[in-house]
Amino acid sequence: MKKYVLPIFLLVVLFILTACTEGTSEQPGKSNNTDSTTNSSGNKVESKKDSIVIGFEADAGTLIANTDVNYATDAQIRNIYDPLITRDSKTGKYIPFLAESWESLDELTWRITVKEGVKFHNGADFNAESVKFSIDYILDENNGSFYRSRWANISEVEVISPTEVEIRTSVPFPGLIERITGDLLILEPGYVAEVGKDEAAKKPVGTGPYKFVEWSRDNYLKLEAFEEYWNGAPSIKQVEFRYIPEFSSRLSAFLSGEIDLFKNIPVDSVQSVEADANSKIAEVSSSRINYLALNTHYKGPLQDEKVRLAINYAVDVDELISAILNGHATKMTGPLSKINSNYTETTDYSYDADKAIALLKEAGYAPEDITLTLDTPNGRYPMDAQVAQAIAAQLQRIGIKVNVQVNEWGTHLEKIRNREMKDMYILGWGPAFEPDSTIFDLFTQNAPYSGFYDEAIEKEIVEATKIFDNAKRKEAYNKIQHLLVDTAAWVPLWQQGDLYAVRKDLKFEPRVDEEIKVFEMSWE
Amino acid sequence: MLDFVVKRSLQVIIVVFLALTAVFFLIRLSGDPTALFLPPDTSREQIEEYREILGFNRPLYVQYGEFVGNAIQGDFGQSLRSGESALGLVLARLPATFQLAFSALFISLLISIPLGVLAAYKRNSIFDRIAVAATVVGQAIPSFWLGLLLIYTFAVSFSLLPSSGGGSIVHLILPSVTLATYSIARFTRFTRSTMLDVLRKDYIRTAKASGAPTGSLVLKYALKNSLIPIITLVALDLGTLLGGAVVVEMVFAWPGVGRLLLQSLLNRDFPIVLAGVFIIAFIYSIVNFIADILYAYVNPQIRVK
Repeated sequence: MKKYVLPIFLLVVLFILTACTEGTSEQPGKSNNTDSTTNSSGNKVESKKDSIVIGFEADAGTLIANTDVNYATDAQIRNIYDPLITRDSKTGKYIPFLAESWESLDELTWRITVKEGVKFHNGADFNAESVKFSIDYILDENNGSFYRSRWANISEVEVISPTEVEIRTSVPFPGLIERITGDLLILEPGYVAEVGKDEAAKKPVGTGPYKFVEWSRDNYLKLEAFEEYWNGAPSIKQVEFRYIPEFSSRLSAFLSGEIDLFKNIPVDSVQSVEADANSKIAEVSSSRINYLALNTHYKGPLQDEKVRLAINYAVDVDELISAILNGHATKMTGPLSKINSNYTETTDYSYDADKAIALLKEAGYAPEDITLTLDTPNGRYPMDAQVAQAIAAQLQRIGIKVNVQVNEWGTHLEKIRNREMKDMYILGWGPAFEPDSTIFDLFTQNAPYSGFYDEAIEKEIVEATKIFDNAKRKEAYNKIQHLLVDTAAWVPLWQQGDLYAVRKDLKFEPRVDEEIKVFEMSWE
Repeated sequence: MLDFVVKRSLQVIIVVFLALTAVFFLIRLSGDPTALFLPPDTSREQIEEYREILGFNRPLYVQYGEFVGNAIQGDFGQSLRSGESALGLVLARLPATFQLAFSALFISLLISIPLGVLAAYKRNSIFDRIAVAATVVGQAIPSFWLGLLLIYTFAVSFSLLPSSGGGSIVHLILPSVTLATYSIARFTRFTRSTMLDVLRKDYIRTAKASGAPTGSLVLKYALKNSLIPIITLVALDLGTLLGGAVVVEMVFAWPGVGRLLLQSLLNRDFPIVLAGVFIIAFIYSIVNFIADILYAYVNPQIRVK
């Protein structure tokens, strides 16, 4: 008898654990989310018309708004909370959302008028007080918001009337509207006060199109339609975000019909989605840009403008796009992409090996004498490590030797921030709709991300960020863009092509700001 | 016996303490995590301010001292990202990890012991040869590859099982089979070789000569005496299954401790990493501790010693 003790014990433990584990009572095959597993059968397709499962590679860090600076968190909670200002899904232009209008009263004061008649999920009214609370929430050190650093210029938020709020800044801050659009989501003050921020972070309440239902950590987040939504009831009634960290598993879950949509398909897997009869690919030129930084802070040949120019001529961006990215990117020639509000056309240094060699000679270098280091993350941007290898090969063609160093993302970022990078590195930046958050944050002395700094250009940049007048501002930024291209500040690569795997009968338009708004989707 | 338990308990504490110390310093080598949580346009002064709030600006030994002081009281701090209790987040994932590890163990024992016994009993037969060949393959297959293969076959091609996710028995099948494959191979080989040793012993020959029926000969006399080394192996493997299911948890999106640990490591969420290592080291030590006591239970000789 004794020899049966161990197996029996294990069996009992197994069943107890099975019974205790969260969500066990629900059979996956029976839930409406996995109906699509057998979506070849007619009745299943019928029942999934009002539900959607969206695959994500990571769980949200928290469900309270205005705290975690992270794409996975932001993309999900924007279905629960609304912003004051949103963007046009194609052009990226500002669109009033919970805000009715905004104006700058003077250089230090902004007035925002908000919509009336908007309700939170718990029935509370949205008003100017909610706006003040949400901004104050970011500014309050005790709330541990990682957005606080970007809102440091705010000195005070005052409620003028139930629909009007005034925001005062400590310095002229023309970028405030960009901050509001990019960061701020509206919290329900009464709810957070009542249940506390820890509870509100697990069971969020917003004014958004979807209400919170259930969150199983590292597993799924379930939402349901908020029928009283001020912008109309959502077409899709049940939403589930499911977390599948491994890409191959995510693709399998998509191909087997368990998930209906996911973002960031590697370009080499596009074909397997297109080959599937129930699936399609959606693509948009994102506002996120990728570039090759030429580090002028590092003592080496790249401190010489002519050498940087030579690198610009030696890197064949068109070839990289067609050979490595299979065409899924939009070429850039200057510091800003075409979607940026202050974009201007600049010189395109297209591939010219002879010119590159001639420039190196002018600078006093024989290409064979130059050895450069190129750092790249692996898997952070589309085909990043492969792009780095290809750039190395292209530079090798004119004789420059390049050592490629592949970093884990955290290490890569830290090397940049600590200025430990050597000659060149690959990095992405976005969302980049406004020149301030691109040019100022990239090309000034304290900003480590471009590796480029020039005292005269910095002066121009600092002046430009203070200009409130749109026409003058554009003029100033046009000049800066030309200056940056003329001094070969970096090698601009491309706007990322955002690729989504989408169920064929789902109406879905990818947005330039990478948001995943289920409210805008519907089943055919 | 009490002496034995006290001594082994002390060992558990030392092992856990050393593991935590090693991990504490090793993850610090990967750099300061503050900047990873902040928006890219954060200025240096602001990063410094956050470092101060999070305590990363202090000397390493001060941070370590504080960590040890708090850890003794069961406080591993808050997740840097979400501000929730790090230990709480890890403990919440524990049932899923247990579920996966015990199912895998259960499957492996169910298959490997009869297989090993049979292979040993029918040594050099076709069955034995096939079983041995299969165990070599089972040990050689990388689990991420097997996992993807199973997903492709059972979820994508035949739509029989969900490809990933957690919570229910149906979700459990593919990951536990993947996780069990290596253990099945290991246990089968080990059971077979231990059984072969025992079957050669004099007392078995005596029993055989005295006309004991084959069934009781194998199960009662031989298997029972093979159990001690098998228990050692099972205990060691259970520790590995509980702590080392990282790859399987990632491939199958199983919401367990291993996946949380890996993701927290990539996010540099140090408190969660340390809480996770604490739990895994603790479980690993405890499982071995229990195995020692089980020996004593199975083999009266050890008890007497």
